[in-house]
Amino acid sequence: MTALQDSQSPSTSEGMGLFERFLSIWVALAIVAGVLLGQFAPAVPETLSRFEVAQVSIPVAILIWAMIFPMMAQIDFAAVLGVRRQPKGLIITTSVNWLIKPFTMFAIAWFFLMVLFRPFIPEELARQYLAGAILLGAAPCTAMVFVWSYLTRGDAAYTLVQVSLNDLIMLFAFAPIVVLLLGISNIQVPWDTVALSVFLYIVIPLAAGYLTRRTLIARKGAEWYDNVFMKRVGPITPIGLIITLVLLFAFQGDVIIANPLHIVLIAIPLIIQTVLIFFIAYGWAKAWRVPHNVAAPGAMIGASNFFELAVAAAIALFGLQSGAALATVVGVLVEVPLMLALVRIANKTRHHFPAASEARG
Amino acid sequence: MAIEISDNARAWIERNGGVLSVRLSSRHGCCGGGADIAVAEARTPSDLTHYRELDLDGLKLFIEPALIDQGLIVEVEGLLGLKHLFVDGSPIARRRD
Repeated sequence: MTALQDSQSPSTSEGMGLFERFLSIWVALAIVAGVLLGQFAPAVPETLSRFEVAQVSIPVAILIWAMIFPMMAQIDFAAVLGVRRQPKGLIITTSVNWLIKPFTMFAIAWFFLMVLFRPFIPEELARQYLAGAILLGAAPCTAMVFVWSYLTRGDAAYTLVQVSLNDLIMLFAFAPIVVLLLGISNIQVPWDTVALSVFLYIVIPLAAGYLTRRTLIARKGAEWYDNVFMKRVGPITPIGLIITLVLLFAFQGDVIIANPLHIVLIAIPLIIQTVLIFFIAYGWAKAWRVPHNVAAPGAMIGASNFFELAVAAAIALFGLQSGAALATVVGVLVEVPLMLALVRIANKTRHHFPAASEARG
Repeated sequence: MAIEISDNARAWIERNGGVLSVRLSSRHGCCGGGADIAVAEARTPSDLTHYRELDLDGLKLFIEPALIDQGLIVEVEGLLGLKHLFVDGSPIARRRD
């Protein structure tokens, strides 16, 4: 074994940027800034919201593309050809992501928001929050997975294949799952609206990212693309995210001021769902004797969400003022601290799993 | 050994010029930060200053020093025009610049 393979897991936040590490704080500050903007300068968000084409807000669309494009531009679709590698890990994570997670999210969020918290949340608003939770559950994490995988000493080849596979599946599965679960929840969303949001916020950035990647690598080389282009483009995501959140909360101010407790109530089922999904995937991997360097990133991939897409879809389907958009932002608020806690659990339980060398025989 | 190359990968690299570069490629988190994965390409790197040049039984290998002797294996996968190299056995890393 070698120095790189034998080294201890990185410290929990090593490899995370300043913005990423304190994401919850930035989101909280964006909530405060947005609420203040909405209360004291409502003309700003109202003016921005008027720039619409076919009921699509142009400023919001630009911000959302800014959030999502950099992530799509780093997807290496050639990696999908490696699906025969680590078959157990791929079966576990793909099943958890697409056959289990959206439905447990629906069940847990429905139970808490529509039943247990019924006395605290008006039914219509609770249904909106449920819609936001459904959107989060249907969108598996992509970009952050590399960070979670790094923090748990995950297998690079497996992580790359799983992320590429998820992005491809998302293209076809996100819309049907969302329509099905929203329909079960009695939340009517026209198919064409869902299709438009998938086209705008998955197909367009994915196609643009793929074409950008191919063109620039062909012209300037892969190293330039990785080390120069992606480093320049990467910071656009957090900027887009924060401005979107400020704008969103400029419209949500009244709800937040009237019901600050709602943020906590929404967070509870989201946290339970994330922890549950982690343990389903992790436990399944343990039962199948999957090595830790696949089990841990697999469970992290299952547990975390592509919250940018969920926020985008919620805004496109229900509007900036909607409870659904608020619920997806609560997902952003709890994501990093929760995932870091799961990283700690994964690293402390490493010894329960076979090492990669044992699994290879 | 600096890095192991499977027979299939060696044959494919030889057909594509006999040069292999192995480096760390950054993958960004959605909100900053990120991690690096080892990638292999059948071409000469554009900037050689970050690489060690080695002869690997007739193949010219350019490899980032941090990846030498890590027990990594270069394999080839895919069919026809979709064949590409990948590095097996590497954990996700973090480049120490």
